[in-house]
Amino acid sequence: MIKSHHVEKATGVGDPQCFKGEAGAAKFKVGDRVRIRNLPDIFYTRSQMYLREAEAVVVKLVYESPPAEDEAWDNTDSPEWFYSLLFKQTDLWPDYPQKFSGDTLETELSERWLEAV
Amino acid sequence: MANRENIMRHLNIVGQLQPALHQPQHAPYPDQIDNAHWRAYTRASHDVGGEADVPITWEEKEEEIWEHNTFVTCEVLAWRGMWNAEERRRRQNVDVGQTIYLGLPYYGRWLMTIAMGLVDKQHVKLTELIDKIEEVKQRAKENGGKVYD
Amino acid sequence: MSNSDNHDHDHTAAPMVEEISDFEVLEVAVRELCIEKGIFTQDDHNQWTEYMHTLGPLPAGRLVAKAWLDDDYKQLCIDDPVKASLEVGVDWVNSMPSKFGTPSDYCNPRILVDEPKVKHVVVCTLCSCYPRPILGQSPEWYRTPNYRRRMVRWPRQVLSEFGLQLPEDVEIRVADSNQKTRYVVMPTRPEGTDGWSEDQLAEIVTRDCLIGVAMPRADRKVDDKRHVHKAIHPYGH
Repeated sequence: MIKSHHVEKATGVGDPQCFKGEAGAAKFKVGDRVRIRNLPDIFYTRSQMYLREAEAVVVKLVYESPPAEDEAWDNTDSPEWFYSLLFKQTDLWPDYPQKFSGDTLETELSERWLEAV
Repeated sequence: MANRENIMRHLNIVGQLQPALHQPQHAPYPDQIDNAHWRAYTRASHDVGGEADVPITWEEKEEEIWEHNTFVTCEVLAWRGMWNAEERRRRQNVDVGQTIYLGLPYYGRWLMTIAMGLVDKQHVKLTELIDKIEEVKQRAKENGGKVYD
Repeated sequence: MSNSDNHDHDHTAAPMVEEISDFEVLEVAVRELCIEKGIFTQDDHNQWTEYMHTLGPLPAGRLVAKAWLDDDYKQLCIDDPVKASLEVGVDWVNSMPSKFGTPSDYCNPRILVDEPKVKHVVVCTLCSCYPRPILGQSPEWYRTPNYRRRMVRWPRQVLSEFGLQLPEDVEIRVADSNQKTRYVVMPTRPEGTDGWSEDQLAEIVTRDCLIGVAMPRADRKVDDKRHVHKAIHPYGH
């Protein structure tokens, strides 16, 4: 049986630790403003539709990993940097009450989903 | 005196009625599917964040024997290398399609995904799976209808 | 819950008790096939079951209690949650038989630290990702499409259904755990706990508090009671 990458690569090390150093230089840094790209979500995505075209601020570079869209077919060729992003709820939802305009949402996306604003 | 249980059941059932625009032609012509409908039909079913839904009573649930075993089997399959969890999720939460996604129980999809994964990866022939299902059913019938002792 | 109308298709219909469950049959079928084909052994399955038996919310509750009492440990929780977890007996890489973390929960825990004006709550809109190695199995309601649909868009409404209402000047930050990070909420320490020991503090940091749908209180040691949907053949260990 062909074994999934974890068994060889991650034993004793952990995942996503096993991909450390493989993504190269991160394109974005903490504090950068980004927009979420509305790429096709054909067949699989872990980039939620409710985030698409919205703007966010990078709050943390969290780890390197293959994008979920590739890892879902056990392809680990091209790890990317993953970023934790902070959105304002009033930017995401037209009906979010202005009186709660301080409310936010945080979630992670890989680099391919982000473009500079 | 009014039977409140039936009233509550009635409210529950009518709450499930949905208007439907019946499309007389299945497999429509391409010119009848615009970008928005393409996106809707081909969407990843698990991506439900922000969809409207109604307030419900939040409940806990007792775990079934089969649910526990299913979870463990999924993790052990990944431990022993048949798949990784992301592949399992892709198969279980998107490949199954919209109807199964919303129509079957949560762990029902995990379980279906084990079966489909075994067959897809050619560890088991579909005919072997079919025969095994029949065998387990037959054993249960001979065991007073019990699958688990 | 139950009804006697066999033609009823609503979801509250109880199954006929004489039926053999398709789910149970398929579960046994695939497990036996996996063992027959040598994909895993019954012992593997048992080992993972035993690992699951060790899991529950106590380590996460203790992590929060320790952080409340020790600012250095609190900083460790922020800077190196894997190391902080070791101090409450949880090894995200090696506690489990695989020795590469649990396949579904990975090894990137993150502690979301509440402040007086920032309240975190966790959801996984795409499935039901949950920090099992330190918090145990996820609750049923957390897995529902309903919770996953609504928490990201109507958090204050959903939280009020859980009994939590927060003032306008508190920022509610919803964390949607959609990738490999697994979140645990560190709530703020409640009033009425001055001079308490770590044990006493850990007791009031319950599972719902660690997800973010409740806040710890000096007078509460168990999560608010909810209806429990019974299983047909419940798993008990």
